Amino acid sequence: MRNRASLSRSPRSFISTAAVVLAGALALSAVPAQGASTPGVSATEIVLGMQLPQTGPASPGYNKVDDAMRAYFDYVNSKGGVYGRKITLVVKDDTYKAGLTVSTASALINKDKVFAMVGSVGTQTHISVIKDINRRGIPDLFVNSGYSGFYTDPKKYPTTFGALGTYVVEAKILGKHIKENFAKNTVGIVYQTDDFGRNTVEGLATAGVTFTAKKTAATFIAGTQGSGLDAQMQQLKDNNVDVVVVGAVASAFAAAVSSANKIGYKPAQWIVISVGADATTFQTILGARGIAPAVSAALLAGTISASHAPSPGEADDEFVKAYKKINDEFNKGPDKRWDNNVLQGMNIGYLTTSALLGVGKDLTRPGIIKYVEANAAKLPSAALSPLGYSTKTHEAFTGFWIGKYDATTVLKPVDATRKVWTTDSAKGPVTELKYTRPAIAADALPKVG
Amino acid sequence: MRAVSKAKNHSIARKSLRRTIFFVAAILFAASTFDAYNQAQLAVVLILFIGVLSVTLLTGISGQLSLGQGALMAVGGYCMALLMINQNYSLWVAIPLAIVGSALAGLLLGIAAARLTGPYLAGTTLVIALAIPTLANRFMSVLKGDEGLPVDVGYPPVWFTNLFGEPSYEQWQLYVALPFAAIALFLASNILLSRTGRMWRAIRDNETAAALSGVNFSRQKIFVFVVSATFAGLSGALYGLRGLVGPSVYPVSLSLLLLTAAVLGGIRSIFGAFIGTVIVVFLPDWIDAVLHQFELSEQVSNFMPALVSSLLLILTVVINPAGVAGTHLHKHKHK
Repeated sequence: MRNRASLSRSPRSFISTAAVVLAGALALSAVPAQGASTPGVSATEIVLGMQLPQTGPASPGYNKVDDAMRAYFDYVNSKGGVYGRKITLVVKDDTYKAGLTVSTASALINKDKVFAMVGSVGTQTHISVIKDINRRGIPDLFVNSGYSGFYTDPKKYPTTFGALGTYVVEAKILGKHIKENFAKNTVGIVYQTDDFGRNTVEGLATAGVTFTAKKTAATFIAGTQGSGLDAQMQQLKDNNVDVVVVGAVASAFAAAVSSANKIGYKPAQWIVISVGADATTFQTILGARGIAPAVSAALLAGTISASHAPSPGEADDEFVKAYKKINDEFNKGPDKRWDNNVLQGMNIGYLTTSALLGVGKDLTRPGIIKYVEANAAKLPSAALSPLGYSTKTHEAFTGFWIGKYDATTVLKPVDATRKVWTTDSAKGPVTELKYTRPAIAADALPKVG
Repeated sequence: MRAVSKAKNHSIARKSLRRTIFFVAAILFAASTFDAYNQAQLAVVLILFIGVLSVTLLTGISGQLSLGQGALMAVGGYCMALLMINQNYSLWVAIPLAIVGSALAGLLLGIAAARLTGPYLAGTTLVIALAIPTLANRFMSVLKGDEGLPVDVGYPPVWFTNLFGEPSYEQWQLYVALPFAAIALFLASNILLSRTGRMWRAIRDNETAAALSGVNFSRQKIFVFVVSATFAGLSGALYGLRGLVGPSVYPVSLSLLLLTAAVLGGIRSIFGAFIGTVIVVFLPDWIDAVLHQFELSEQVSNFMPALVSSLLLILTVVINPAGVAGTHLHKHKHK
């Protein structure tokens, strides 16, 4: 009876209550409109937006990048900001779910009125918003994804610029190393079933490293690696694979090693794409599974990976020294332990500041896009290779060096002296790169001129 | 007798139409006062409202608990995206066809589910929701795995801009969702007020008594699944038009979100479905507005929406099982 009555309630009461709720939503959610002609830019402030998984299965490690970026911006602000404007970074947690990424992007664009998106993390999540961001002409700078499809056709995504070398480039370089050093081994792969993973497979194939159907290949589904990769590891073990390539996020690599350890599978060599090979992330995830740091360090030791930047363990590197100091003093995040993610966050902060300084006092959205596209050479950073930005491509770092983790979880070059390799995201050859990185200034602020 | 029945049907249709007109007017009024962000949020409310209505019909009215409505949303989303991308259909053609696809999925599910009740039905539907990522990756060449299928509402047609001016992207999202939400509201209202709605409630309250009253409850249970899947598929298609159709757009948590909205608002009421949807969509913003005044770490603030909605859900179930709509009714009864 109660239900019957509820259905025959008058439409007037329905509409009045609906109006009250909607008005409440408006009152609590609405933000005053900004008067500035360029959104997110005032005489005293530049508002930047970023989305990444701060929580959820894909968050370990990556959830430190935003804190590191903010720490660098706070340092810049403490030195007077950019032409007197303080940089504010607004961060939204999308939990690595594309449905939520759409909402968080809308909030950053329409509610927080950001000037630009900076350093957003994730391939599949960014796919859901990249078209909208570009359609609105919003600068989409230094995206933390190496998916080549975002960058190789600037006509398609004119406002989007990468912050990593593409997965294809990295995989081609690692593929060359595999061909030269593991020609007699059985090589298998565990890869993420999205563009990240497929880019990895594509790059390896270009280098001549291919996999026979499902005999030596295994896949995992992004986001579900928390339950382990026992089946995939068993598959590789059954096929006598002794060199395992991992083209996936850090939590997946940790899950793969954990699963292999559980079933007593000990491949002779792990080779991991750089974004999946951060040492502290690896150890943190395994630590949560009850594996002691000494054991996880031993599991990581010997793993081969690549990097476009110095290893965070290179204490003598001038960028590492400067960033580490800023991290110690300005990082207010819950986990400020120095690692690859923090270094990457700091470096994006540095690059962003360079670009903002380079554009000049008259900061506009088209202005910064044009500047970044035309001035890659004027945007040096900690990276050991130059940016590849041009009117033909928005790919970031074009070179990688190959290293091996030692017993103290530091990635050390496999060559006696570090060699940086370069190639393109197409069929070009892998060649050695000769690049001299410009020095960092004493105050660790970029000098653009 | 037939004349009386016809007059009653007309009365029901008129009542549903009045509700729908009021609803559309209220949404348009609210949209005119909202900023772009809240217009986008209002579009999400309209889209999810249709999904919550599918829960209201299935669980609230006919008493069949589903934890997999998100999967039926995914069916609608994938059907629409495939038609738009592979066949170049406009969304106005793709969405109705996607609804047919969802209805077929609902029919298959309904045939299987007609034999199940309670936790067995809930478990079965939950498994279907969990299977979405696996299916997307199993049929990678068509469904594109985790990467998904990018689709969006595009731009308004020329006749629209000539007539109403150039809407913002958020307004256009809203204008696309509104007619579908209005149709869904009209149909749901009609169903609930009609003989069909009474049959479903009879099945919910007592299957044996319903059968003795002449209700073919097996057929009706399948029918309610088809209708519910139609609503869910429509909601899923519109939800995908926000940018992407992929597994991460229709996670298991989406199914639980729909159920949460239905319970918070009042699972047996259309009004409750709307209020519940407004709550779950705007709650993170309300919490954000409150927490903005405090210096809370992201580690705490990121979990607050989930924590508060969970608390609200528990409090609703324990203190006020009829939800907001039930409270509303209670006040009216005691005036």
